[in-house]
Amino acid sequence: MKKSVLFWLPAAAISAVAPAYAGQYATADEAAKRAFPEATTFKESVFQLSAEQLSAVAATTGLPAKPALWRSLTAMNGDKSLGLVVFDGVIGKYELIDYAVGIGVDGKIRNVEILAYRESHGYEVRLPAWRRQFVGKDKSDKLRVSEDIASISGATMSATHITDGVRRIVAVVDQMRVAGKL
Amino acid sequence: MHPKQKPIKYNARVFATTIAVGLALGMTATAASAQSNESQLLSKLEQLANELEKVKAELKSMKAKQDAAPVAVALVAPVASSAPTASSDTVLSAYGELNYTRPRGDSSGTQTDLARFVIGYQHRFDTKTKVVAELEVEHAVTSADDSGEVAVEQVFVEHKLNDTFGARAGLFLIPLGLINQNHEPHTFYGVNRPAVETSIIPSTLREAGIQVFGEHDNGISWSTGITTGFDLTKWDPLNGESVESPLRTLHQEGQFARSKDLSLFAAADWRGIPGLRIGAGFTTGKAGHGTAGFLAPDARTTIADVHARWTPGAWDLSAVYARGTISGAGAFNQSFAGAPYLVPKSFDGYYAQGAYRLRLSGDYVMSPFTRIERINIGKSFDGVDPSLNATSYRTETIWTTGLNFNIAPTVVLKADYQKYKIVKDSDRINLGLGFSF
Repeated sequence: MKKSVLFWLPAAAISAVAPAYAGQYATADEAAKRAFPEATTFKESVFQLSAEQLSAVAATTGLPAKPALWRSLTAMNGDKSLGLVVFDGVIGKYELIDYAVGIGVDGKIRNVEILAYRESHGYEVRLPAWRRQFVGKDKSDKLRVSEDIASISGATMSATHITDGVRRIVAVVDQMRVAGKL
Repeated sequence: MHPKQKPIKYNARVFATTIAVGLALGMTATAASAQSNESQLLSKLEQLANELEKVKAELKSMKAKQDAAPVAVALVAPVASSAPTASSDTVLSAYGELNYTRPRGDSSGTQTDLARFVIGYQHRFDTKTKVVAELEVEHAVTSADDSGEVAVEQVFVEHKLNDTFGARAGLFLIPLGLINQNHEPHTFYGVNRPAVETSIIPSTLREAGIQVFGEHDNGISWSTGITTGFDLTKWDPLNGESVESPLRTLHQEGQFARSKDLSLFAAADWRGIPGLRIGAGFTTGKAGHGTAGFLAPDARTTIADVHARWTPGAWDLSAVYARGTISGAGAFNQSFAGAPYLVPKSFDGYYAQGAYRLRLSGDYVMSPFTRIERINIGKSFDGVDPSLNATSYRTETIWTTGLNFNIAPTVVLKADYQKYKIVKDSDRINLGLGFSF
């Protein structure tokens, strides 16, 4: 009898929590709306940094700059630009993590949203509590794991690579602002 | 289907029909004209055959292109970003540990060991299904004259049902403690894994089975499943290894694993506060497997643990308590008459560890740490005269102090000193090199 109780535990555990939680990943549109709820429209834009700007990003972040075309959504309220949401992907431990970073015109991070996480371990990077650590930070912050961003036990690589990615995006957006392109 | 495929097939049929008609015409032709027309027909036939071959080749190449098309789409599809980050369906991984140990008492016991070299891969079949595999070589060489070991450390298929729930089946790591599932050299401090997580939890503990798991937004993650368990009939009362880690010689690891008795495991972690992880787990199951004449037919083995890790800023603090029991082995123990190593009824240990990650320039990180462990691999025994239980093993205290020096995030040089309170001969200096990717 005792054994049969033990063997039913898995089913009980699933049925207890199953109805309470469903999919938790944000879509690109949701990520944008969460960053800028006051926005009336979002304009799609693609931008690329010059060689000088890439060097500046590498110098500021201590990371190799991605010579990438960055995809973003600019949040507008009427004619006024509120900031933008930049979409990116980094490798966690083995697999690609898709994420988005919302940054206001003041350069401060509005949100970090995980769009897709595929690793077997380390899903915790998508937890709101962990992502909230980035909110309000800007280029004057370190934005480094084990310094101003707490690591995640069992998901160090994912936490580190997302944090590095966010630091890079903050620097990239800053370059765009300096160039008067935002 | 490719839109151009059908007409090509049709053309092939037309050509074949033409050949048949041509042959028929050839056969019914008059004998007089036969000889003159024969050469013309043959040359036409040859021409037709050549064209047919061309069409076949074209069809084959189009089919190949068509088959390749969905793969190309699948590779591109998961990339939501326009940033050119590489991602492949198949990813190679590896880790290795080279250790140097010099005992403080008897320096003749100094040795260098390529403790582990592991290569693995992960292959994603689609967005929901993948296989994860690791093949391990321990102690560098395996042959009839060497004591190395080649083993499959894990190979399992994972299928996600949705963003929250999934299932795994195969040979997988049992979720106990902090090390068993995350054991690459850069993830732990010191050259050797903590004694609690090698002697009480015999990491890397893996068994074959099935499991379901869940990962929730409130920070709770859990997994539970049914696996092959331990086999107590393998206990050797003359083998010291049996007692260094009571369950290490009993695990089955997917090799002709006796499966009449299965084990149940369950584990849960909470990471609701950034940097904090609190969790617990257990695995339990009978270990006699209905063996005829076995003196512990109802023996049950259980390991349970509670663990916590907190990483505020540059600090890395962790603690684990683990306890194992083997019940119902009294008569089995009594049969050993005079043999040195009995089956313990209970064994346990804990450790507390503190490390500080000092980031130097670039990726260089130096982490001094210290760890205290108290461990008892035989607290009590079934089937032994109670007066003898007074001689149960004593609790050993081990201090490990040293530093990890990361020259890259996952490449680490290690140095530490281990001090034993009871078995002082075990005091030693360890140096190590580890990497993983």
